[in-house]
Amino acid sequence: MNRTARTALSLLPRYVVMVPLTLAILFPFYWMFVISLSTLDKVFTFPPILYPLWHWENFPVAWGSLPDPSTGSFLHIPWARYFFNTVLVATTTTALVLATSVLAGYAFAAMRFPGKRLLFGLVLAVYMVPTEVTLVPNFIIVKNLGWIDTYWAQIFPFGASVFGIFLMRQFFLTLPKDLWEAAQLDGCSHLRYLWSIAIRLAAPPLITIAIFHFVLSWNAFLWPLIVTNSDAVRPIQVGLTSFSYADATNPVLHAAGSLMATLPILAVFLLAQRYLVGGIASTGIRG
Amino acid sequence: MAKSAALEAPRGQARLRRTRAVREGLEAYAFLAPALLLLIVFLLLPAFWVFGLSLFRWDLISSNPDYVGLANFDRLLGRDELFRKSVFQTVYFVAVTVPVSMALGLLMAVLLNAKMPGRDFMRTAIFTPYVMPLVATVIIWSFMFHPYAGVFNAVLNAFHLPKLNWLDNPRTVLPAIIFYSVWQHTGYNVVIFLAGLANIPPELQEAARVDGARAWSRFWRLTWPLLAPTTYFVLLVSIIGSFKVIVPILVFTGGVGGTGSGGGPDNAAETIGYYLYTQAFYSFHAGYAGAISVLLFLIILAVTFVQMGVLSRRVFYS
Repeated sequence: MNRTARTALSLLPRYVVMVPLTLAILFPFYWMFVISLSTLDKVFTFPPILYPLWHWENFPVAWGSLPDPSTGSFLHIPWARYFFNTVLVATTTTALVLATSVLAGYAFAAMRFPGKRLLFGLVLAVYMVPTEVTLVPNFIIVKNLGWIDTYWAQIFPFGASVFGIFLMRQFFLTLPKDLWEAAQLDGCSHLRYLWSIAIRLAAPPLITIAIFHFVLSWNAFLWPLIVTNSDAVRPIQVGLTSFSYADATNPVLHAAGSLMATLPILAVFLLAQRYLVGGIASTGIRG
Repeated sequence: MAKSAALEAPRGQARLRRTRAVREGLEAYAFLAPALLLLIVFLLLPAFWVFGLSLFRWDLISSNPDYVGLANFDRLLGRDELFRKSVFQTVYFVAVTVPVSMALGLLMAVLLNAKMPGRDFMRTAIFTPYVMPLVATVIIWSFMFHPYAGVFNAVLNAFHLPKLNWLDNPRTVLPAIIFYSVWQHTGYNVVIFLAGLANIPPELQEAARVDGARAWSRFWRLTWPLLAPTTYFVLLVSIIGSFKVIVPILVFTGGVGGTGSGGGPDNAAETIGYYLYTQAFYSFHAGYAGAISVLLFLIILAVTFVQMGVLSRRVFYS
């Protein structure tokens, strides 16, 4: 037996356990797909039909551009509005997190000022505060700001990130001091140096922070559920649950809606998972 | 003349340096201001405020909250049967979810910790549930738990076991949600454990192998102790995360939009977090919800400190 064959054989037990486990973990996603392509009379047959029935028209029906075959009427769910709201909130929040993280991370890494250790300790201490615990006071704050049912309420509370500040600080600490000293000799200010030199080198941490917060914001549910009450500003995740009582009778369309709300973020995740998994593995941070 | 000029120059430089330091300090505060402002207003301030809030009775609407002292805590700890139930159920939820998802996560990480084709694909696949929107995945899982045609009942049926009414039976609703949570969370543990395993020098494994140690004893004698910092970290994060569980309970038990039996049949899926949410935003008992928040906060802080204490005493390898 040659070496490659022996290595392959030694790996076999790993595959024997891992392949079924991986498939089992992926099954719910497959199931979402199967149900979304099923029909109302086939979806709850027993035993369940385990393969897709390819009723692609479920998607235009769920979207509201074709009539629902079971009722003959059109569904009125403002998907486009929900998607727009989610994309708007997620991109704005991400941009804000990047800006605040870069500035604060740079200050903590490269600038001298009184109270630096105290303030950094404060930032790390804030990380221990669970957002579930601050749900009620935060609601009161947002209410007093007059932000109920606005985009602001969905953006600003998530506009600064301990994870982001920490990651940017760690990155700026690795930049050689000579770089800044040379720039300073040329009359460069901190802001100018940060903008035209330091940030251009910071793509990996920036991408990690951006992906992480984009996913977090896309998936946000509880907070927007609490602070919004009209479709005009509601994100897709909250929209999905209003779907559940607007059309509780048709699980097929419900699954189609879930799939529509999941696919964009799945695409983002698959494209960027290297950065996301890397960032989580190195810092252990979680949503 | 020459003498005073010589004295002036260093003094001028010192002043210049001092102005520059002051300017840099002000600039630094300006850089920090946006992040600190948001962190203070939306995290730090509410964290303190919640303690104050817990001393009031308030419906979130009227302009005058009533100061009631410790009455909220008195009721919560003394007379509130539902809260007591939610505490027990939360502990049950944590006590099952955490060990199961950690053991599974560690198993999968150890198996994936080798040069093998398909490793990255499997890691990504396992991690996917953790990043997908909770609402969408809960919706799919509730189809899988369907009392008549769900896939789990099909599995039971294949083994000639009776079907279960998973989400509508007080005895199975919480186990069903635990099952979902393990699925949802294990991928995170795998990623963290894989990162921890990558930090263990391969030479050690190699040396143990050369010495003839079997895989099982290599794991318990070498990998397990060296992985201790990672294990403690995952334990801490998992316990805290599970203690706070709200959204799966909310979506699984149909508490969204006011339909269905929120908290499960017979409140069998009520958890501390979910109770806090309903008290605040359905019953509008802001002060009472504040008191629940304070207790949840104290539990989480206690877990954190106990584990940090254990960490600093028992883990030598980080």
